[in-house]
Amino acid sequence: MSEPVHGYLAAFDSPAEIMRAAELVRDAGFQRWDVHTPFPVHGMDSAMGLRRSRVQRFTLIGGLAGFTTGMLMIWFMNGFDYPLIVGGKPLFSPMFAFPVSYELTILFSAFGTLGGMFLLNRLPMHYHPVMKSVHWPRATDDRFFVAIDADDPQFDIVRTRAFLREIGGKDIAALEA
Amino acid sequence: MSASSTASISSTPAAPALAGSALPLGIGVAGLAVAAAGFFIDGPQAAAAGWLTAIVFWVGIAVGMLFLIMLGYIFDAGWSVVLRRQLEHGVSVFKWLALLFVPLLLLSWFYQRGLIWRWMDPSFDFAGIGGHGTVATDILYGKKSGFLSIGFFTVRAVAYFGIWIGLAAVFRRNSFSQDSDGDPKWTLSSRKWAAAGLALTAVSSTFAVIDWVKSLEYHWFSTMYGVWYFANGIRGALSMLALISIVGLARGTFTGVVNRTHLYDVGKLMLAFTIFWAYITFSQYFLIWNANVPEETFWYNLREVLHTGEASQWKWVGMAILFGFFLVPFLYLLSYKAKVTPKLLAPVAIWILALSLLDVCYNVLPFRKDAAGDALPFLSLQLVWTLAAVAGVGGICVWSYLRSFPTSKLIPIRDPRIGESLNHRE
Repeated sequence: MSEPVHGYLAAFDSPAEIMRAAELVRDAGFQRWDVHTPFPVHGMDSAMGLRRSRVQRFTLIGGLAGFTTGMLMIWFMNGFDYPLIVGGKPLFSPMFAFPVSYELTILFSAFGTLGGMFLLNRLPMHYHPVMKSVHWPRATDDRFFVAIDADDPQFDIVRTRAFLREIGGKDIAALEA
Repeated sequence: MSASSTASISSTPAAPALAGSALPLGIGVAGLAVAAAGFFIDGPQAAAAGWLTAIVFWVGIAVGMLFLIMLGYIFDAGWSVVLRRQLEHGVSVFKWLALLFVPLLLLSWFYQRGLIWRWMDPSFDFAGIGGHGTVATDILYGKKSGFLSIGFFTVRAVAYFGIWIGLAAVFRRNSFSQDSDGDPKWTLSSRKWAAAGLALTAVSSTFAVIDWVKSLEYHWFSTMYGVWYFANGIRGALSMLALISIVGLARGTFTGVVNRTHLYDVGKLMLAFTIFWAYITFSQYFLIWNANVPEETFWYNLREVLHTGEASQWKWVGMAILFGFFLVPFLYLLSYKAKVTPKLLAPVAIWILALSLLDVCYNVLPFRKDAAGDALPFLSLQLVWTLAAVAGVGGICVWSYLRSFPTSKLIPIRDPRIGESLNHRE
């Protein structure tokens, strides 16, 4: 038992059981845990107490950075580094910098979204410790799992196992780190 | 959830009548009376310009609603079915808008040619508004005279309203008939009509705004104009739909029918079309700014500077539209909470409607000029007739909606996608 564990995996047999289990884990105050099901279970987000994704903050930052970059780039190139009058227009005007800024807003928003998604999901991750469990493949077939990570502040090697058994978990197994 | 809510709805015989349809009718008649009084107090042109602004504003919203109905059918959308009935009540207004358009035609035919659309009067002398020559000697009019004649203009106006009234009648009949017999053939019929109707409405609303607004300055041209009108109208229609949903939820009429996910989707479309409107409006400005040829720039100059070179009031109206109609709703609607919370969505819907009206004013009213050729200022007595006409035409539209409301079920209960729509979740 002194070996480092990644966490516990507990199996459940039906969507109703996993919903109930998720609510109990949520109410027990666990932070770092997940549910694995063969198909989407509607209402699971609120049963798990998941908040809305924080990806859009990265999108917003990306968008603002893109707009600023576009404006600064056009000003630097045409108004500062190599001042050149084109078509009788001013050396710099937000008017002609706008299409470029607009495109960069979209591009950097997309970068922000993708990067933020990777960061929040802790990707890239070449494999997940639950995949080492002999029980877990049935999460793609007919079983439902709760996985509680060892780095959860409440995790306790003895009490968490007892807790999972108490809420009806079967085939409870420690996951190799 | 779905079984119980469907059962309770089908046991409801018809939508509960919304009380107080007399009030909007009263506001409508009073507003139109005040707007008409402007004819005698401030001159025929001031009253007619305000009346035209009101027609263009409300036709835009009604056409936007017609587009939303057809888009729902053409994409076979599930989520929007519970909201579609309100749009069907909304498009009942076209016949009244057609009736309210008649005074503008009568003024042009019988009172004074060129009162509103100057090209209708061959003897109109531009010297009176800072130009030179008459319409008859204007080569730019000569080239366009085949299209811009008062007879053809009248025929076209009849055709536009005919198309809109006809399409609205088809979609209303199909949807209301399905309530009683549940036959899916009505949905298939509406889908076919939507395919034809989208093209017809796109062409007719583009030509309508070219006739009614762009031809006020018939020298000017912009290929973006029809798209601008569509963008402006559909933003108004979506805001109106959001307000109808929010009022219905507050009164309990939509309890168990319209949920926060429907509001979320309407809010998302409001955000999308805010960006679309900005894209279109900027494109029009940018192309003209970049090409910088006098044939096009004069339209914006009229809305920015006086002949002395000083900034005119219209410049600040333009700035208010740029920031108020794009930046403020754009930033506001980015928020998830703003789209799903009725108390947060209602203010921005009202705001968009108000700024949409300001945008229509910006496009219509500056055709009225003084002897030096400057646009008459925005803040003047003419604003009173404009707002009175907007309230008047709007009152008639709201009355028409409320009159239609109790004649059918609250939602299309036998639409093939009604269950999907009632259970719409994020």
